[in-house]
Amino acid sequence: MNIKDVFTPFTTWSKVVKDPVTIKNPIGREAAPRYRGFHKNDIDVCIGCGTCEAICENQAIDLVPVEGIETKSGDSGLRPRIDYGRCCWCALCVDICTTNSLNLTNEYTWVDTDPDAFIFTPGVDKKSWDTKEEGWKKPVPNYHFYGQTRVPMEELHAEERVESFVEFVKGYSKKQAEEEADRCVACGICTATCPAHMGIPDYIAAIRNEDMEEGMRILYDTNPLPEICGRICTHKCEDVCSVGVNGDPLSIRWLKRYIADQIPADVDKYNEILYTKDIKNNNKKVAIIGTGPSSLSSAYYLSLLGYKITMYEKLPQAGGMMRYGIPEYRLPYDAIDKDIDYIVSLGVDIKYNVTVGKDITLEQLHEENDAVFAGTGLHLGRSTRIPGSDHENVYQSVDLLRDIVTGAEVPVERKVVVIGGGNVAMDITRSMARLQKAKYGEVNIITTSLESEDIMPADREEVVEAREEGCTIIPGYGPQEVMIENGKVVGLRVWKCLSIFDENHNFNPKFDESDERVFEGDMVIESIGQGMDLSYLSEDTKKGLEFGPRGRVQTNDNFQTSLPWLFMGGDIIQGPDVIHGIANGHRAAMAIDDFLNQGR
Amino acid sequence: MSKIFDFKPDRSKYPAKKADGTLDVDLRSQKYVKLWLGPNHPGVTGNMAVELTLAGDEIVEAKTHVGYLHRGFEKLIERRLYVQGFPTSIRMCVAEPDTNEYLIARSTEVLSGYDKDIPEMAQWLRMLSLEMARLQGLLRGVPGQAGTFSLGIGVQWGVYLRDLILDRFEELTGARVYHMYIIPGGVRGLLPDGFKKRMEENLKEIDNFIIRIRQLMFDNAIFKKRSVGIGVIPKEWVDLYGIVGTNARACGVKRDVRKDNPYLMYEQLDFDPPTATEGDIYARSWVRWQELIQTVDLIRQIMAKMPEKGDIRAKMPNVLHWRIPKGETYNKLESGRGEYGMYYVTDGSDKPRRVNLRGPSYTHAIALLEKMLIGTNIADVHATMVSLQTCPPEIER
Amino acid sequence: MKEILDRITPKYDLQDVSIKDDLQAYVVVEKKLAIDMVTYMRDYEGFSHFVLMSCVDWIEDNKLQLLYLLNNPEKKCVIGIKVFIDRENPSMQSAHHLWKQIWTYQRELREAFGIDFPGSPRIEENFVLEGWTDKPHMLRDFDTNKYAEETYFPRTGRSTNDPATYMRQKLYPNQPVTAKKNKDDE
Repeated sequence: MNIKDVFTPFTTWSKVVKDPVTIKNPIGREAAPRYRGFHKNDIDVCIGCGTCEAICENQAIDLVPVEGIETKSGDSGLRPRIDYGRCCWCALCVDICTTNSLNLTNEYTWVDTDPDAFIFTPGVDKKSWDTKEEGWKKPVPNYHFYGQTRVPMEELHAEERVESFVEFVKGYSKKQAEEEADRCVACGICTATCPAHMGIPDYIAAIRNEDMEEGMRILYDTNPLPEICGRICTHKCEDVCSVGVNGDPLSIRWLKRYIADQIPADVDKYNEILYTKDIKNNNKKVAIIGTGPSSLSSAYYLSLLGYKITMYEKLPQAGGMMRYGIPEYRLPYDAIDKDIDYIVSLGVDIKYNVTVGKDITLEQLHEENDAVFAGTGLHLGRSTRIPGSDHENVYQSVDLLRDIVTGAEVPVERKVVVIGGGNVAMDITRSMARLQKAKYGEVNIITTSLESEDIMPADREEVVEAREEGCTIIPGYGPQEVMIENGKVVGLRVWKCLSIFDENHNFNPKFDESDERVFEGDMVIESIGQGMDLSYLSEDTKKGLEFGPRGRVQTNDNFQTSLPWLFMGGDIIQGPDVIHGIANGHRAAMAIDDFLNQGR
Repeated sequence: MSKIFDFKPDRSKYPAKKADGTLDVDLRSQKYVKLWLGPNHPGVTGNMAVELTLAGDEIVEAKTHVGYLHRGFEKLIERRLYVQGFPTSIRMCVAEPDTNEYLIARSTEVLSGYDKDIPEMAQWLRMLSLEMARLQGLLRGVPGQAGTFSLGIGVQWGVYLRDLILDRFEELTGARVYHMYIIPGGVRGLLPDGFKKRMEENLKEIDNFIIRIRQLMFDNAIFKKRSVGIGVIPKEWVDLYGIVGTNARACGVKRDVRKDNPYLMYEQLDFDPPTATEGDIYARSWVRWQELIQTVDLIRQIMAKMPEKGDIRAKMPNVLHWRIPKGETYNKLESGRGEYGMYYVTDGSDKPRRVNLRGPSYTHAIALLEKMLIGTNIADVHATMVSLQTCPPEIER
Repeated sequence: MKEILDRITPKYDLQDVSIKDDLQAYVVVEKKLAIDMVTYMRDYEGFSHFVLMSCVDWIEDNKLQLLYLLNNPEKKCVIGIKVFIDRENPSMQSAHHLWKQIWTYQRELREAFGIDFPGSPRIEENFVLEGWTDKPHMLRDFDTNKYAEETYFPRTGRSTNDPATYMRQKLYPNQPVTAKKNKDDE
């Protein structure tokens, strides 16, 4: 120690003349642009999926109903409310937000004498910082709490698949399915949109837990045709998937198929997994007309309750439109058989080649049974009724599709024109392409629809895949005339379609007559929708029923007609698609049970 | 000088020891006084109490009492998803919260097999935030030692300089103290525009003050009188008591996790941990002051060497369903106070089975402090405690 | 690390040796040999730095796992010596004579897991909790949530909704529910 040590510390006095560094008035000091302050939420973008609540480690977030925000498909109507007594400003809720609507602003000063003011719903309870742009946002780049991109489904190449009717979607492997299932945030928004309200997050969780038997039980709770639905469902659920708001929606349909595919086609195994080995008979009988999705669904759920079911099928095999309307490359027959065999194993009796109204009357069914369910579907093709459409080389798509399945001879010409923009039109287009390829070695099909490309009712992937297979799809033209020369069909004359509906939303297409084209073809196939065949209803029965617009029988919410013993469902009431049919059948089954147990 | 001021009391007779080895202190004999230092006392680091038994001004027995900050963080993390662990963990050490974030992230990554996938950019940013945390900790800790000798101006400078670093933290991470920046898989943001320039300005200002701190502390007669030869840790104690970090380096045992078991990108940085041999309060302060200079240099090196752009987080499973197979791992890093480790056990579920933090204060503030205080005066208790850089939250977790 | 393990494995009849990497390994040793092994590792294998003593509750196996984590400052490697002890009235030989900080760990484990270490100094003293009468708080079957609910008062006026359930109530309240099938019905 020396004398220097005594004097050196006095150098600190040099700071005496410096300006102080203290901020005189810290209130109003702007925080950094990334600062994590109070929440704000764009409630118009938010869908109330609740992932913020799920990730919050402090249980600071509640989902509450908000006045003025309606609960609808794809929006729960709930919005997050934050309790600042618990919030730790970690912003994990922002990082996981599926819609990017929730952010933290960089506002951090707020004084209030009421502690309860610090529980509020951002975006609903207006705050001064709602307009602030700066604050914590989801970091970029490549910072995601769940997978953004869908696990691609392996498919046969277009050139390969057009060669035959073999199913071209290969299905997920275990690894792929688990990776896809991992992307789910388990919010459950999709459940409301699914017509059958399937437990979607639950069965996706079963895939993650590698418990296929539990997955199967969840599927059968609401859907007795998982193999079929896992392939051809119109998957409305995927349209509202919250993961899909910023990224690809979950492949819910393929995941459902994955579960069903894992269980071997063995009815004993099915009965074991689903605990349906011994069902007590309740000595009541129900007749079901048709064996389509709604009929099978009601047969399944009624069987579970102990009813004796007899089904009447006009055609030689069960499945209705699923078998006779949907081509094999999309829905192979063994998948249909797998689902139906299990339902039959519950004691359901199917009488094939029996047409109700001809071989047996509805009244007879009523006498022999306690109730009747009719799910007879739409099997009659509709015609465009344009000039020339009565020519013998103008066909209906439903008839051709049915003939392909039954093995009847199907006319295949070198050039084919298809009218229609729905999934059935795509089915016939792609089926004809395969037949052409087999017969002539080349595909030459033009498909045209009234709807323009963006509003075509067919699934997008169907259109894309059809084009890949060599079909030409020209949407936005309205057919005017089937052109006939020397008694033979030579083509279809069309006009550009400007609009389909008028101001009153009535079907009234407007055409641009100057934009006329002729699609060459040796045959024309009409696929513009189907009608129902209700000829099995006798005049007496019809008197007891109420009919609504377009000849539809009116039913109540439980698909009961004005004749209490007669229930109707499926495409003739709602739809048309498989999943609506399944939902109708389920609901009708429960209603039939209620109806027959009223006296109990 | 007269001999009476050089009085060396004979302690051989009292306090006597009981048969089981504990001291026989009879408070009614009026020879002893119990004094509770803390839990709320400006001189104590954090909320911790030291129960002193005094004979006159001299300490004959010391017992550390903790528990005033116990919030059961380890238990709380056991009941949370893997990704939810890090916002809780930071509170286990206020002085350098980033260390906890890193250990939670690193442990989950090692056990789930993603440790090789962490993008390089994220590793540099992790290292930057850890070194910034060390710097702000030292800026409080080094002049804090002056504070224990009533040289309060040093503490004021320290707080001001620390705030400059906190401003940078605010910019980078969105928060000043609890940054929540290092997340399993990576980090939560790139450097903002102009960050390096503003950081360099701050470092220049800190450079100036480092000289001032030297003049205030190490060229100061008062400081020297109070610190040289006081609170000595013999070299042999290092392994015996499990002493780590600057406390070990100040008595000549050169241990530094950054050098011994390099993590992140430390192998690419050029530095040599400072050491001293005396092992007293002065030596520990001196080592820390040199480390302050070194940390400023390390931050400059990191900012010069780090890439400009890159991914900040690896592709990881969905955080809501993330499960880690059964396993265990111990990961450690060098915090400003020494080896800071975490034993992390998973059982295959979506939550950890056990998280155990090993903070340096666990040994420094209890076994070591209790031993070191015996025979010193009351006035030296704070100086000794601060020189060990004790931090109670990491003891009781 | 491997070399060291090859040397000690037969000596202490180690089970379940897992080498994480060159610098980290965990071994399971019998209870009666544990302290002997820890001493041996310190005195003959250079593991002079005691890092951590910890406990993991494997409630499903009815075991508590004690861990002695040692560090070799020369070879810069870590070995975790694990001992499984019974969960009922757990007790373990004290190691407080080996390192000066061990009694603190043992005191904490006594409080947090209820493990007794006979002979360890101040073992009965409270560590972080004062006047704790409930079961040891770090055991898996101590329910933190329940404790918090009973001890503290939750904020009133909070309620939340599950989106899927809420949408069901709002949009399709009459959805039929199939009688839930389960094993017992079979």
